[in-house]
Amino acid sequence: MSAITNLADPMDSLQQLVIDATTEIGDAISIDQLDAIDTTLMGRGSSISEARRGLGAIKDPDERRDTGRAINDVANQIKDLVTAKRSTLVATEEAAALAADRVDVTLPGRIPPRGTHHLITQTIDEIVDIFVGLGYTMARGPEAETEFYNFTAMNIPETHPSRHESDTLYLDYGEKDGGVLLRTHTSPMQARYMEQHDPPVYVVVPGKVFRSDAVDSTHSPVFHQIEGLAVDHNITFADLKGTLATFAREFLGKDTKVKFIPHYFPFTEPSAEMHAYSNGRWIELLGCGMVNPAVFEHVGYDPSAVTGFAFGMGPERLAIIRHGITDIHGNNDLRPLLDPDQRILRQYV
Amino acid sequence: MKLTLSWLEDFIDLPTTDPHELVEAFESLGHEIEDWHVIEPTFTGVVIGEVLEVSTHPNADKVRLTKVDVGDEILDIICGAWNFEAGAIVPVAVPGAVLGGDFTITRRDIRGITSNGMICSETELDMGDESDGIMVLNSDYPSAGASIGEPFAPFIGFPDVYFDIGVTPNRPDCLSVYGLARDLAALYEIPLRAPDISVATAGDPTTIDVSIDDATACPRFCGRQVRGITVGPSPHWIRRRLEFAGVRPISNVVDASNYAMVEFGYPTHAFDVDRLGDTIVVRMAHEGETIITLDDQERVLTSDDIVVTNGTLPVAIGGVMGGAATEVHEGTTDVFIEAAYWNPPNILLTSKRLGLRSEASARFERGADPSFCPSGADRVAQLLTQFAGGTPAPAPVDVNPGDITPWTIEYPLSETARTLGIELSSGETTSLLTRLTFGVHGVDPLTVTVPTRRPDVRVPVDLVEEIARVHGFAEIPDTVPSGPGEGLPLAERKLRTLREIMVGSGMYEILTFSFIGPQDLEHLHPEDPDAAARAIAVVNPLNETEGVMRTSLIPGLLKAASTNISRRLPSVALFEIGKVFLPGGEEIPDQPDRLGFVLAGRPDAQWHTDAREYDVYDGKGIVELLGSNMSLPEMTVVQTQRPPFHPGRCADVMAQGTRIGTVGEITPSIAESFGLSGRVVVGEIDVSELLANRGSWQYEIPSSFPPVVFDMAFATPDTVPGADVLVAANAGAGDLLEHSQLFDVFSGESVGEGLVSYAINFRLRAPDRTLTDDEVGPVRKAIAEAVAESTGATLRGEL
Repeated sequence: MSAITNLADPMDSLQQLVIDATTEIGDAISIDQLDAIDTTLMGRGSSISEARRGLGAIKDPDERRDTGRAINDVANQIKDLVTAKRSTLVATEEAAALAADRVDVTLPGRIPPRGTHHLITQTIDEIVDIFVGLGYTMARGPEAETEFYNFTAMNIPETHPSRHESDTLYLDYGEKDGGVLLRTHTSPMQARYMEQHDPPVYVVVPGKVFRSDAVDSTHSPVFHQIEGLAVDHNITFADLKGTLATFAREFLGKDTKVKFIPHYFPFTEPSAEMHAYSNGRWIELLGCGMVNPAVFEHVGYDPSAVTGFAFGMGPERLAIIRHGITDIHGNNDLRPLLDPDQRILRQYV
Repeated sequence: MKLTLSWLEDFIDLPTTDPHELVEAFESLGHEIEDWHVIEPTFTGVVIGEVLEVSTHPNADKVRLTKVDVGDEILDIICGAWNFEAGAIVPVAVPGAVLGGDFTITRRDIRGITSNGMICSETELDMGDESDGIMVLNSDYPSAGASIGEPFAPFIGFPDVYFDIGVTPNRPDCLSVYGLARDLAALYEIPLRAPDISVATAGDPTTIDVSIDDATACPRFCGRQVRGITVGPSPHWIRRRLEFAGVRPISNVVDASNYAMVEFGYPTHAFDVDRLGDTIVVRMAHEGETIITLDDQERVLTSDDIVVTNGTLPVAIGGVMGGAATEVHEGTTDVFIEAAYWNPPNILLTSKRLGLRSEASARFERGADPSFCPSGADRVAQLLTQFAGGTPAPAPVDVNPGDITPWTIEYPLSETARTLGIELSSGETTSLLTRLTFGVHGVDPLTVTVPTRRPDVRVPVDLVEEIARVHGFAEIPDTVPSGPGEGLPLAERKLRTLREIMVGSGMYEILTFSFIGPQDLEHLHPEDPDAAARAIAVVNPLNETEGVMRTSLIPGLLKAASTNISRRLPSVALFEIGKVFLPGGEEIPDQPDRLGFVLAGRPDAQWHTDAREYDVYDGKGIVELLGSNMSLPEMTVVQTQRPPFHPGRCADVMAQGTRIGTVGEITPSIAESFGLSGRVVVGEIDVSELLANRGSWQYEIPSSFPPVVFDMAFATPDTVPGADVLVAANAGAGDLLEHSQLFDVFSGESVGEGLVSYAINFRLRAPDRTLTDDEVGPVRKAIAEAVAESTGATLRGEL
């Protein structure tokens, strides 16, 4: 392809240039080759460049204008061809590069490390949050407790069997014989909390509790309770029923049915157990009752001015029911919750 | 409390016998049903028959031939039992009858003669333990003779329903068939049939003289003498009821006492009068006094025990167990039935101390009904008259120094609304309480008279409970009050963040027991033999491994790690947040909350990640993460030596100059004593500081100008802590420093003897301009000078 100006008819030679360029560009197989072609066609010393330079020699302004337009048209056509080809080649090369970079994504990924919260902790958090939603706050209390707070302040008589060493773990601490023990329930925090706060009191207290029991499928010397206490002017048994039924629906599902059956606790009166209908059977969910006036007297509240309700439940039991924690025979079993085996802990997602 | 429906029906005509409805009825009254089932016969085809003739078998001397009238025919039956003669009314399994569900009775040949059925014993009918003879119904079931040929099962009381009821400890009055019938009568508003406890007396008045030394210990002592009894077995129906009640039948005398106790809740004790003598004195035991009880054990008594004496020696531990010396025996003819009311706390103390908890002590320790004492003795006397041929003597004993009488409670009706949230009128309230057999007078307040069988009802709120129970909890509406909405306390929210950081670092939360074994502390602190002795001891641990309160979370973590490794898991990463128990608190031990963690083993290699054993820097990294994410200002670590940690791989964690914990590797020999090998990384930190700070950081605008990045390396004497180099370098870099990172540490020939090289990457950036080379040169110089001055290090390479 020599200079266009050498051709007899510049227009014809421009046409030929386009035809040749189209073939040449079309045949390019790499961006480098295309760049070289581009330079040859359009760059310094190219036919187009030479043709433009030759325009000054055309005297007739009309012819000069027409020829100039024709050259520009050809230049634009070639430029478009190059651009189009370039994007095709870019896409092709990119596709080839990506194809070469392919990996097998079915192989395991790099999982950031993550453990689990213990199931008991999760259960407690969930229950606490339900009551926080009802306007309650939360407190914790000492696990090594005085006999006074654990029993006496809870209206449990001096002679009650639960005070006996066969039921309660005592600590060798302080001067008083038998005065310090591992709390057998979270209820002593009722007394401590009321001593520290004036009514109204709306609080839940989760924590460890202790009994003199060997480990078996339903017992452990250490387990957990969540205590709840609402003390205000005009708190009634109707409030107790409504609150705990609301809790059951939040925790077990909105269609959960509950029933309250009379029971006995020294620190509440009337006392009840709440049972919930879950998975086709009634299960005992918690114990509850109206705070016994004797408990108010122990903490310096005026029993004629306030009333209240209290409840206590076991997160282990709730977790066992919910997650089907059993032994190999399919019977509910507490022991997996005590086991630090990571194969169990890993399931607590 | 175990009983059958038919026994309840002695006292009430229930509107339903559907067991499901009765279970709900009991529950609504607060009597939880622990177990129940329908009692059905295990036999079919058994009828009532009359033995017409008994004769010997020509070919066998262990069996006899009988002719038995079974209504529509007379059957020849061969029988191996010898406890009957002609005229006996007996259960007969006729040919085609099925016993025990699978044993079909057929006509069969016994030594040449055909036997057309079987006369049955209790055992063969699954109705009791008696297998020595067949059931003879004549005396036990007087109406049996009129029912020849009729089916035996409905006659004998099939079907029935068995209930096992968990009576709450406040309701001693319901530890009886009659008491539960009374509660059901109140619920269903049906009449309660009062029992007829009358005795036909004869002979001389009671010869026994009773006195009470201590009226608090024994407020009332009643007794009835019964003469002329013959000790033998009880009737079938008594034995059957006792067995369903969980009481083993023994003899008519013992059974009568037990039957009356289950029926009316009043435990009694029978003395053999010949052995007792004619004097009873009730007093507190002398310290160290002994008695041989019915179970032939010698019991050493204390001054808390109440004894019944013959004037000198104890003959029974009052309310707990009788003495062997005055026990009823096979030849007993004359008994004295004691029905006394004992002070409940004494009974509880004595029975627990001696390990003698019985049906009787369970009732006395909760409080029997002192008003029922005379009837209690008389009911036994009545049964002995009927079933042991006895004759009650006139002039029963009733020594009643305590004189416990019904009491009254003033009950303002407002108590109902205030506690239950419902309004009940005076009439409704009176009706509810009257149904429970309380006496009620007045309008508002009501004056309520409480029977002596209800020691649990003393103050108005006790009546609220009764009203709620019988009115029905289901009748009370549901309302939901809202608290003031303080939300979770700060420490609790921070605790959740802390846990989330640990979980997000790949660790699993565990909850271990709060007590450990003394040997755990011995293993953890071999250098400190007194460690276990200083820990707070559990007075009454169930076993030695739970003997002391934990003073550290580390033993529990090491044991948990060991559990995993012993189960062949390659690595373990656990944490626990919980209390430790330390001497120091005035009333109760100090109980600070701590965070502990353990990393051990070598996580498996993955195809993209090499296997690497955990080491101290994994632990320190966790601590640093907590420092930067828990708003804890000025948290640092200091290299230290502190057992049980590896002396060269241990650091104290400091917050504002105070030690709050330690992180490091456990000394290998100590790890080994917990069953662990290799590097075991442990950290333990007091969390109170971590949970205390809300955090108060202020926003910094990130510079939008380009940084200058460069590396510098320092040859540092190996006695200098590496952290000093970093601190000095950062200080030297001054305000322009955006970030620095230690990226290489090495020693060796190329560095020089006794030297360590620390290579640090610095990134400088100005907030307001692009840094020029002219500015960076002096910073590099300042860094080199600061490090040299503070650590004696020399810059490696050009400045």
